[in-house]
Amino acid sequence: MYAMYIRVKRNKTTYFIQCDPTETVLQMKEKLSNLIDQPANDQQLVLMPAGDVLEDSKSLADQKVENDAVVALTLRKDDNEFEEVNIVKPNDEF
Amino acid sequence: MKKEDTVKLISREGFEFIIDKKAAMVSQTIRNMLTSPGSFAETEHGQVTFPEINTTILEKICQYFYWSLQYASGKETEFHIEPEITLELMMAANYLHT
Repeated sequence: MYAMYIRVKRNKTTYFIQCDPTETVLQMKEKLSNLIDQPANDQQLVLMPAGDVLEDSKSLADQKVENDAVVALTLRKDDNEFEEVNIVKPNDEF
Repeated sequence: MKKEDTVKLISREGFEFIIDKKAAMVSQTIRNMLTSPGSFAETEHGQVTFPEINTTILEKICQYFYWSLQYASGKETEFHIEPEITLELMMAANYLHT
């Protein structure tokens, strides 16, 4: 049983990923690569709302990624740069 | 984490939530959709569309599924619900048998 989960978001898609605070960001990217068919190397994870780019070798806890956190996923573009963070917000009437 | 162990829930506005099958099974309605014999499109693609549930509510429901799993395993935290979404959330929960 995992201790927590994070919400990884890109465009209109959200991935709920179960994890432990001691896991590294690289381990998260490897989990994601099974779901999105993109290697870990082509992924960048950004903690929201702060906008801090998460480092592969450090643990989630070290970088203040907590249960239910929102993390933006950006992918490497053709020019080798990463795309901008893009999370579409729903337009609900609340 | 394998693709086969996840399901995709799609909201009225076409937003997608990919969650663990185990979490989705907290809902009796989704459990029935995913496990019933026969040729439900849902069973084959592991994908369920909810034309009646908006994105904010569906995300809250997914968060509830995970909270529920954590709670069942002994972690006692509160589940926060914003007052303005209470009514719609209850209607969705009723539909989902959650």
